[in-house]
Amino acid sequence: MKGRVFDVQRCCVHDGPGIRTTVFLAGCPLRCAWCHNPEAFSGQTARSVEAREVLREVLEDRAFYEATGGGLTVSGGEPLLQAPFVVELCAGARAAGLHTCLQTSGAVDEAALRAVLEVVDLVQFDLKHLDPARHLALTGRGNEGVLANAALAASGARQVEFRVPIVPGLTDAAEDLARTAAFVRGLGVGALHLVPYQRTYLGKYAQLGLLARCEQVEPPSPAAMHAHAAEVERHGLAARIAG
Amino acid sequence: MQLERPAVTLPGSAGSAPRTALHPKNAALKQRLLTAEHWLCIERARYTTEVWRQTEGLHPSLRAARALANVFEKMTLRLEPEELLVGNRASKPIAPPIAPERGDFTFVFRYLLEDLLAFGYRITPEDKAELLEELIPWWAGRTVRDAKVAALQAHHLDSPPNASPAELVRKLRAFGPRALGRLLTPRGGTSEPLLRRLPRLLGAIRAGASDNVKGRGRCTDTQAHIVPGHKNVLALGFSGIRAQAEARLARAGTDDERHFLEAVLLTCDAMRAFSRRFATLARAEAEGGCAAERRGELLELAQRCERVPWLPPRSFAEAVQALWFVQNAAIISYGAGSGITPGRVDQLLLPFYEADVAKGALDRAHALRLLEELVIKLNDNVVIWPNIGGVELNHLGSDVENLTIGGVDRQGADATNALSWLFIEAIENTNLATTASFRVSKKSPPEYVRRVVEMHRRTNSPAFLSDETAIATLRRDGYSLEDARDYCLVGCVEPSGNGDTFGATGGSKVYFPTALDLVFNRGRTTFFGNQDGPDTGDPRRFGSFDELLAAYFRQLEVMVAQVTEATRLRDAIWAERFHNPLISSTIDGCVERARDMTRGGARYNFGAVGGGGLGTAVDSLAAVRAFVFEQRAVSMDELLAALACNFRGHEALRLRLRAGPRFGVDDPHVDALAALVVARFCELVRAQPTVTGGHFKASLISYGLNVYEGALEPATPDGRFAGAPLSNSMSPSNGAETKGPTAALNSVSRIDQTAIGYGNSLNMRLPIGLVGSEKGQEAVAGLLRAYFGNGGFHVQFNTADAATLRAAQQRPQDFPDLIVRVSGYSAYFTRLGPSIQDDLIARAEVAL
Repeated sequence: MKGRVFDVQRCCVHDGPGIRTTVFLAGCPLRCAWCHNPEAFSGQTARSVEAREVLREVLEDRAFYEATGGGLTVSGGEPLLQAPFVVELCAGARAAGLHTCLQTSGAVDEAALRAVLEVVDLVQFDLKHLDPARHLALTGRGNEGVLANAALAASGARQVEFRVPIVPGLTDAAEDLARTAAFVRGLGVGALHLVPYQRTYLGKYAQLGLLARCEQVEPPSPAAMHAHAAEVERHGLAARIAG
Repeated sequence: MQLERPAVTLPGSAGSAPRTALHPKNAALKQRLLTAEHWLCIERARYTTEVWRQTEGLHPSLRAARALANVFEKMTLRLEPEELLVGNRASKPIAPPIAPERGDFTFVFRYLLEDLLAFGYRITPEDKAELLEELIPWWAGRTVRDAKVAALQAHHLDSPPNASPAELVRKLRAFGPRALGRLLTPRGGTSEPLLRRLPRLLGAIRAGASDNVKGRGRCTDTQAHIVPGHKNVLALGFSGIRAQAEARLARAGTDDERHFLEAVLLTCDAMRAFSRRFATLARAEAEGGCAAERRGELLELAQRCERVPWLPPRSFAEAVQALWFVQNAAIISYGAGSGITPGRVDQLLLPFYEADVAKGALDRAHALRLLEELVIKLNDNVVIWPNIGGVELNHLGSDVENLTIGGVDRQGADATNALSWLFIEAIENTNLATTASFRVSKKSPPEYVRRVVEMHRRTNSPAFLSDETAIATLRRDGYSLEDARDYCLVGCVEPSGNGDTFGATGGSKVYFPTALDLVFNRGRTTFFGNQDGPDTGDPRRFGSFDELLAAYFRQLEVMVAQVTEATRLRDAIWAERFHNPLISSTIDGCVERARDMTRGGARYNFGAVGGGGLGTAVDSLAAVRAFVFEQRAVSMDELLAALACNFRGHEALRLRLRAGPRFGVDDPHVDALAALVVARFCELVRAQPTVTGGHFKASLISYGLNVYEGALEPATPDGRFAGAPLSNSMSPSNGAETKGPTAALNSVSRIDQTAIGYGNSLNMRLPIGLVGSEKGQEAVAGLLRAYFGNGGFHVQFNTADAATLRAAQQRPQDFPDLIVRVSGYSAYFTRLGPSIQDDLIARAEVAL
């Protein structure tokens, strides 16, 4: 079946274990203020492509996955908006012996997540904000479904990593991190991944003629990230800073 | 090449290997190396010439031995206050030994001396007068170069640029005044007006063109590029080698044999006398009232110099000293620009290290100090090269003395050892432009590979070599399995035997794009304009791409035949007149056969032909196939017209070509073309015999010269402008790796690399930000394992430095594949806004 893909990037090393090919799917229910991939919803660069075509390209780097325990990562946008496509793609990749990873915001129907859990080895689940009102303000949607899906991922995924984007001034208040940490711990998950905000994506906005809402936000310093990590660890979780 | 990069500690370095700092004495040596003036020392030239003047008619082996002995006896010795190892090669700390008999640098002195001086070289007025008025004039007509030029002319293998008015107009159209002007413009050198320089420059260019063979082939004057038999000196000493030569002399059958063996005896004695001069100097210095600690060092040093390399070393310090004596003496014997290679240093020195450690006579820190000093000494070997065409080659360490580290032993077991690790540390601590090759086999410990990857953060890029591919290559060329496993890297990446091979791995070269130029112009190159190749027919009449490809291979065949014939003529000159009994005496086979290495004395014998500009040629062939023959979107006529005027008025066409198919993006159709070109080239080269009884081997290496090499190449169908750089080594064209490292590695893996006898180099630019993290280092190690698993031979990773990023900011069109990797996604550097680019540049300035 066909899916709408806006990019395929080979030799990624930050989207799961080992060397990976990351497939970026178009469409997203959220409009996060710091969105790194505005192509996902601008629709300008997306192409319609068969899952088996994408899989063929992914398999070209099989030797590199085998050497590093890597594989396929499906990202976006929100890939679960195209759950049947993701299922076909990931099932094919797993059948070929690849490690598969899903990156999701969780802001989708439970059924979509449930279907995909079967075919992925790792779910990287974003918890953008625990407070429903703040979630709404920052992403355009509330987080009720997100939290329910987080519980589903925690219990149903082969492996799950919860990730918090650290956007100074928006998501990095100590009490917010504490709340997120408590929530994750409540799900029986032992670690929280902190993803620092980066500015390198801003050029895309200019190119797409879009306005970047976080243009003025500076990335967190390494010291700030370590302080956040310490905050998380005080709540009994291992904190990991994404590179 | 960057000499120094600030060592910084980055997050994520916790848990990595323990760090040591450069020993203070070595820091002083390094500082002197980086700040010392570059001198032109004429002692090597003077004392060689002195003997040559008196020995007309003497057997070439004896003549060389007597000349070298005279140099060893009379040259100025140096002993720096921080040194534990001695052995200098000139009267100043940094001064290349000049070998006037080769003639290859003569034109530099005759025509470009002022440029060298403007660049920073110095020479005393007396030395300058002696060099220009006595030494060089005596050698006129006697050098390798003079004899080679005469031989090439006699065999109609030269190709003086055709300067008829019609041809000049054609060249001017094809290259444009700018590209031609670049050839004549010095960089960072003199401010002298061009018109005043012009006569000298033209003389230099005419002299420089003497390496030219027919259609843009090159055959330089030197052979060298060799691993001396360090293993034999460490095992036997020159006393042992002398004893073997004496025994062999007793049953010498011919005058030639006898003279060669007598020359070996003489050389062995000269080596003893040379090292003892250092012993005397050290003792005198010790008695001269220095501090007690230094006095002790000097006396020990003197004892070592009395023993080695005459007798076999008994300790680690003696072994390192012996190795350096042989290395230094070999460089003196050959002169600057010789590519003399120490070889498998971690294997050679290990027994001495282990014995000392077992006895409690050596601690790790002292061993490290000695290795650091050795590495510093390997880095002061400059080449005298004219600074024209915007190429700066006269930087430190440019006469590569490649260290080979790691890999399997002669029995096939992993041989990574304590000294492999110590050498890694020494190379990191010294942080100079050390050329080091790290052998990696399937049996290599993963932590060793990771550690070498980690070096990227502290020093310049180490090279990785695949044992599996290299050993298979050497086996194809006739090495026994044990000898193949013992290979070392010579020059850049040429796999060669360990002290058993006369391989002359560098020097002769052809360029893949030239064959296409010859097809387009029916056997004439655009730059030279002579009928140097066969007329393969009017390209406008080719009915299919296969026809064009057949013509291309016909031109390549003739090019290879011409350049190997020229190389044989050159090698015959060396064999007849210019012997090297010193290096020969150390190489397996020469004493036994009683024959100099230039005459086939070594156990294994080969010659080399390099191929340059593969990516440019493959992209060009693929563009012709796609646009002219498959899509029929561009006529051959239109294409040839656009190339003939360097795309002036054809910019739309050029941009279409630029966006055409590319080698390096995992496109099997294009990669198959690359595989075919390389396979055919290697076959053609291998079919050619050398004068020493071996065959030629192919290599795909640029020696960092690809920028210069492009200067004479007209516009190409990949949309490259005339005079622009060619692709380097076996790498895809600059800017072609738009799908990242894995796709590029897949493309290159489609070439059968075991057929490339003298290796290939693949320079891979890593996404910015990758080696900064442990995860990224793991990924790099993974890239390496996967590439080698797929048959890769060599890879060297680099990360764009701040200067590159700045260039990309200024000229984004030249850097479309500069990828930035950050969490979650990647971006092309050139598409980032200027402020973010500035941020990345700032980060690159402090770290990789």
